[in-house]
Formats: sequence, structure tokens, C-alpha cells
Amino acid sequence: MNVLRPGPLAAILAALVAVFLMMPLVAVIPVSFTPTRYLSVPDAEWSLRHYRALIENPAWAQGAWLSIRIGVVASVLATGLALLFSLGIWMLQPRFAGLLIGIALLPMVAPPVVSALTLYFFLISLSKVNTFVAYDTWAGVALAHVVMIAPFAVVLISVALAQVDRRIDLAARSMGAGIWTRVVRVILPNIRFGILTALFLTFVLSWEEIGVTLFITSVDAVTLPRLMWMGLRDNIDPAIAAISVVLIALVVAVVLTKTAVERSRARRQEKA
Amino acid sequence: MSHPSRFLLLIGPLLLFLAATYLVPFLGVMRWSVTLPASGLGQYKAALGDPLVLTVFWRTLRICAAVTVGAVAAAYVVTLLWVRGGPMQRLVVELCILIPFWISVLTRAFGWLALLSNKGLINGWLQALGVLSEPLTLVRNEFGVVVGMTHFLIPFAVFPLASAMRSLDERVLMAARGMGASRARVFWQVFVPMTRAGILGAALVVFVFALGFFVTPAILGGGRSVMVAELIYLRIFQSPDWGLGAAISVILMAGVGLLLAALMRQVRQGASR
Amino acid sequence: MHEHFLKDQVEVLKLRAARGEISRRGFTQLAAALLGTTALGLRGTAAFAQSGELVFVNWGGDAGLAYDAAYGKAFQSETGITVKQDGSGPTEGAIAAQIESGKPTWDIVDADPFSAEALGKKGMIEPIDYAVVDKAKMREGFGWEHAASSYFYSYIIAYDAKKFGDNPPKNMADFFDVEKFPGKRALYKWGTGMWEAALLADGVAPDKLYPLDVKRAHDKIAAFKDNVVAYWGGGSESQSILLNGEASMALIWSTRARLIEKDSGGDIKFIWDQGLIAPGAMAVLKGNPGGKDNAMKFIASAQDPAKQVVMFNMLGQGPANPAADKLLPPEDARYNPVDPANFALQIPLDMPWYETNYGPALDEYLKIISA
Repeated sequence: MNVLRPGPLAAILAALVAVFLMMPLVAVIPVSFTPTRYLSVPDAEWSLRHYRALIENPAWAQGAWLSIRIGVVASVLATGLALLFSLGIWMLQPRFAGLLIGIALLPMVAPPVVSALTLYFFLISLSKVNTFVAYDTWAGVALAHVVMIAPFAVVLISVALAQVDRRIDLAARSMGAGIWTRVVRVILPNIRFGILTALFLTFVLSWEEIGVTLFITSVDAVTLPRLMWMGLRDNIDPAIAAISVVLIALVVAVVLTKTAVERSRARRQEKA
Repeated sequence: MSHPSRFLLLIGPLLLFLAATYLVPFLGVMRWSVTLPASGLGQYKAALGDPLVLTVFWRTLRICAAVTVGAVAAAYVVTLLWVRGGPMQRLVVELCILIPFWISVLTRAFGWLALLSNKGLINGWLQALGVLSEPLTLVRNEFGVVVGMTHFLIPFAVFPLASAMRSLDERVLMAARGMGASRARVFWQVFVPMTRAGILGAALVVFVFALGFFVTPAILGGGRSVMVAELIYLRIFQSPDWGLGAAISVILMAGVGLLLAALMRQVRQGASR
Repeated sequence: MHEHFLKDQVEVLKLRAARGEISRRGFTQLAAALLGTTALGLRGTAAFAQSGELVFVNWGGDAGLAYDAAYGKAFQSETGITVKQDGSGPTEGAIAAQIESGKPTWDIVDADPFSAEALGKKGMIEPIDYAVVDKAKMREGFGWEHAASSYFYSYIIAYDAKKFGDNPPKNMADFFDVEKFPGKRALYKWGTGMWEAALLADGVAPDKLYPLDVKRAHDKIAAFKDNVVAYWGGGSESQSILLNGEASMALIWSTRARLIEKDSGGDIKFIWDQGLIAPGAMAVLKGNPGGKDNAMKFIASAQDPAKQVVMFNMLGQGPANPAADKLLPPEDARYNPVDPANFALQIPLDMPWYETNYGPALDEYLKIISA
């Protein structure tokens, strides 16, 4: 039962925010159909050349695939490490918790430029001893991304944990449950949503990361944002807008399918 | 605690990982603040005595505070509908939250320019409606930067909030309602305090993220709203003075660290209550 | 392989001729020039054949494609060395970090000559080997110890011809005069050329500019601030400010001039008068992975006038080799910042001044524009 259903005022405010959130779409969708080679809103003539470019230039597909691979690996690793860490802090409540959390959040707090330089030096030193996890390799980028996105996962999971009622855990413990039982049976189910959001958000962060990536890659590991990053002295390719439109279409399709599936399942349950 | 060694297994991996990949080279970079070009605290003195640095710090703080308040408030409202609204509301809100994620920063900045510039859509509409006679300057200034950054950061604020709203104890709300409290009262005096960890988490993510912003201010600020991330970029790459760049970074992080510590205390007090 | 490249180049030229971008005559000239270099290239192939790789770092965007088409492919077929394009942007700090790391991964950078000189003095850049790179194929005074000029661009006045078509601006004084030429302006965010523009407008004679009176320039800019709608940081930004009518005049890179003129259907025009010429240069990192000799060979190969014409056609860069001027048909020469007629109207930036004064001057400039 939902005892606190949002009233009309909340609905109106939310509608305003929703409009605000969708506003740049007004620009992005038309721009992707511009016939010109630079970002502009088309006047009379509409063209599909930037969508054609996405298909014809293999660099876009390669970049997207590389970014997906890096994003998946980095977000899974980062969320996993952050989950263990946050659980440890929550259960153990160590004396220097503040300091430990501070260290874990450092890459998030440090200016991106400093992180870029830091990770660049680190990856170059790795390059001297191996060629797999190194400068300008996909594994090297994934490693750097784990560093950059793990703090966000720590924050999200800690927020979820802060909502968990300690008494449940205490009850489980007093009934003799071991650590792993408590974690798997009691705590994890309660923070499932937090973990999933951490996974999603860290993936998005990795997918969009450019500040550090620009600096630790060169000619081989060209991620999608790097490909999009058309330099400070030059053009912004409208193909970026076309990519956005494709991604948005995908998101809409996934969300609609998900909602439809949930609804039909709910209806079936009602009938049953 | 009965098995501290097992808990170390939990906390250890992330800390060891960060120590190896980040902390050591990071400290190497930060050391420049006291070694380059000469050893000593000269760089800190230079940084704190430089009016450019102070202007930029002040502007950054102002913009980030405005963005944090705006983004968290806006996110709170949409998250409320996402978590507690009807099925149709939920669907619409979910789309509005997820779609902006996939539009690249550059395209979004361009979109805002197209909307907000003197000859942009918004000024066009307002003038057509007769609300304005002269176009408003909405972009290529701090206002444009705040709008663009808030837009970027709302979706990031939604998730910590949703996490908090989803896992709160429904029975408390029911009890409050059952005792005859009005809906507004339940919302302000029970629901909002119970989502405090989420609000603080969201504010933290937004504020810290905003500090590192670079591209959006550069494009929407008309080149004059230099923020601290760009200043550090300048010192490290453009007209390099690594010592000064590192010193500014240390000062920035010290400030953020204090803020974080205060926030963490709040979160943990909230949790233990 | 070289023949493929050539065919491709001739194909590009044909296309452009068909679209009316290059005249028929220009096409024949360029094709002849390209074919002329082939003969030499083919002869050289066997002698130079070797494998290897060079990483050329440029400023991104279309630059990578252009460098590859103009220089990279030809160099590969002549020597067997692949040239990879990296668009990271070789800022002075980034180059220093490459060296500092102890294992640079870049070979050749497209850098500001004053940055290269400053880094060279710190031992981070190789001196140019003028036994390999030919100083005679450069304009007088544009070959430095650590950098070889590879192209030119200018900071020039572009204006809204719909507003000022009858009475176009003639110099920097007009640019800074909003009474005679009403409307907003746009300036460059990173200072270069802006000090000179302000001083010229303030009445300093072109030959008395250096050493720059930075204080005087900043006073001029500070007083003018309210008329500036934006300080652009990239070419596309300056372009959109003019195309959207946000500014009636802007100081822009000459590499954008042709694009803006075309995209606006002639509504935006530009002048060369009191333009400020800046050289772009190639420099080689100390201890570069691909070897110093190969890098120098690449720089020498890029001195070929026909190849520089390809760069001019693709990016609007003024050729570093004066021999290339003659290869441009008159309707193209109009866009060439270093065409003798245009050069005479402009003032080259003084690289030694920038080498020592750029950093502090930029700080002051940013303080003023962001106050």
C-alpha cells in the first residue's frame, strides 16, 4: 500500500523538471539530420548523411564496442570492490572509518586533470613491464576507469546501506548466522537496488569518461568519447548527435519493453 | 567484532587496489606542490596570494553551490514520482531520467546554446509571445553554466535519492498516517528526514562532480567563467607550472575533504539514529 | 601503395573540381604536382624500405585525416614507416609529462614554435636536424632550433557583411570601434594575437609592437569588455558565434575563413589587414620511440609543396614552403594567409616574445576577461 502518493503539486513540479531534462533533445534530434558537416539545426533540407557515416565508418562501431567492453569490465570490478569495502565499513564500523572512506573517495575528489596525470604516470610504469595492462590498451583504460568510478559506487552503496535497519543484522547474528550468511541472506537483498544503480551509474561514467581517457590513450585504444572528442581547435562532428539519437531510441525501447513485461506479469498474477 | 581478519578481507581489496594504482603516483604528483620549481611552501603562498586563483575559487564555489541545490531539489521531486507515483508517471519519469545520460556533453552544451542564445528558441518564443522586447542574455555567462551543469547532474542525483526512498521502512509512514498526521506533515516531518542519507549522498555526488567540470563551463560560459578545474588544467598543460597546479589542487582537495568529513558525520549520525 | 594514395588524392581533387571548389586549371596543376612527386617517391622506395612506426600528435578533428592524406600515406609508401595520428593535443604540459614519464610514446608533435623552443631549452625536444630538413624550403625566419615551421594561420577580422557590407572594417581600430561598427564582438580565449590587436587599435605602430606593452593592451581590453559576447576557445565555436549572428565581428583563425564565407553564403566576410600571422611547427620529442632520424625524415618529407597544398585544401593551412604559393590558383590564393599579397598586409607574431612572456601575460588576460 502506498500511503504517500505524490499530490498534484509534486506532479506539476516533476513535470517541469521532466520538460527541463528533455529540452536539449529539441536540439539534438534535428541536429542529427543536418546536411552540413558541422553542428547546426537544419533549415529546409534534412539529410541522413550522419547516420550513414555511423554505418560506413567502422571507427564508430569499433569505438562503441571498445567503450562497452571497458564499461562492463570496469563497472563490474568497481562495484564489486566498492560493495566489499562498504559492507566492511558498515559491519565493522572501524575507528578510522572516516580516513578509510576518504582514501576510497580520493579519485573522485581530486581534480580530473591531476587524476589524468597520476594515472598516466602509473600506466606508463606498467608499460615498462608488460604490454597488456598498459598505456593505450583497453585493459589499461579499464583499470584507470575502475579507479575513477569506484568512489561513486562507494557513495551509492553506502547510501543504500545507511537505510538498512541494523537490528535485522543483529537479529541474524544473535541467531548464530556467520558473516557470509548475514551478507548474502540479510544485507544484500536489502540493498539490491543500490547495487544495481551503482552498476548502472558506474557503467555510464566509464562510457562517458574523457578527461583521463584522453591522456592515457593514443592511437590504439580509441574509445567512443575519445573519438567524439574532436579537439579544441576543430570541428564537432554532427555524427555525435546521430549516436545520441540511436542510443536514446535504444533506451526508450528497453524501458517500454520492460514496463510492458512488468505489466503483463502483474496482470497474470492478479488473475492467478 | 569476532572475526576482524574477515572484515579486512572486505575492506582490504579496494584500499589495496587504490593504494597501488592511484595513491602512490598521486602523492608523487602532489609532492610537486612543495618541490617545483623550488622546495618550500612558496607555491602555496603564490596560489593564495593570486587574485586570479581567489576569483576562480569563489566563482567555482558559487556555481557549484547553486548547481547542487538546484539539481538535488529537482531530482528529489522527480525521484518522488519515480518511486511513489502511478504507473504512467513512473514510466514517463524513468524515460526522462535515463535519456539525458546518453547525450554526450558536447551535444548537450550545443543544445543549450541553441535554446538559450539571443537568437535561440527560448528568446524567440518569449519575444513572439510579447513577454520580452529585448532578448535576455541567458547563455555565455554564469547563468548558462548553472543551467547546463544542473541539467547534466540531475540524473546523477536521482539514483542516491531513489536508493534511499526505495529502502525506507514503509511502516513508519503508515504509523504516522494512522496517528492522523496530514499528508504534508508526513512528507515534511517523516519522509524527508528519513531520506536524509540519500539527500546528502546526492549532494555529495553532485557537488564533487561539479567541481571537476570543465567542458560545460568552457562552452556555456562564453569563455569567461573560468572554474577551478580549468585553472588547474591551465597550470598543468597550457602554460605549465606544475608546482602551482599541484598546490591549487591540494588547497581544493583540503577544502573538499573538510566538507566530506562533515557530510560523512551527518550520514553516519543519521544511520545510527 | 603510393599509387593508390595518389589515385585517391587525384580522386579527391577531381571531386572538388567537379563541385567547383577548385578550377579546372588548378586541378591540372595539382595533379601534375602530385604525379611529379610520385616519380621521385617510387625511385626512393627500394632504398628506404624499412618497417617502423611514428606517432604524430595533432589537435584532433579533421586534422588527423588531413595529415594522413597529405603526409602520412605518402611517407609510408616512400619509406615503409607507418605514421599514426593521435589527436590528443600536444600542449606544452602534455609534452613535458611524456618526457617526465621516462618512456615517451609520441614522436612528432604539431606544436606552437614557442612551446617547442621553451621545452627544447629544457632538453625535452630534439634540435631539428637541418642536414635532413631543408631550411631553404621554409619562409625566411621560420625555422627554429627545435621546431620546423609546417604551416601558417592568422588571427583575422571577420565581419557581418549584411551590416557592414558598404563600409567594411579596415583595421583593428575599426574592430574596437563600436560606434562606427555597432554590435558585439568575439575574441580568442587564450590571448594569442589579442594583445597585438588591442595595441594596434590603441595606435601602436605595427613595427613597434614588440616587446608588447601588455599593461596597455589589457587596459584596452578591459575597457572593451562589455562589447564582447564570448571568448571562443575553438574554431567551431568562433564559427557558430558568427553564423548565429551573436557577434557582428570576431577575430578568428584564418583557417576558418573559407568555411565561414561558404557556410554563410557570403554574409560573413573577412579581411587580411592587420591580421596576425602565427606559425605552426613540427617538433620531435627527445628519446622518441620511433627514432630521431625517421622523425626528421618525416618532417623533411612534409616540406613537399604539393603535399602542403593538400593541407591547404583540407584544413586551410597556409603552406610553410613558399614554393607552394605558386601552385594555388588565384581564387584559392585569396584564402592563403602567407600569399605574398596577403602577407604584406599582416604582422607575424614574435615567437621569442611568446617564449618568455606568454604564461604571465595569459594569466593577466584571463584575470581581466573572467573578472
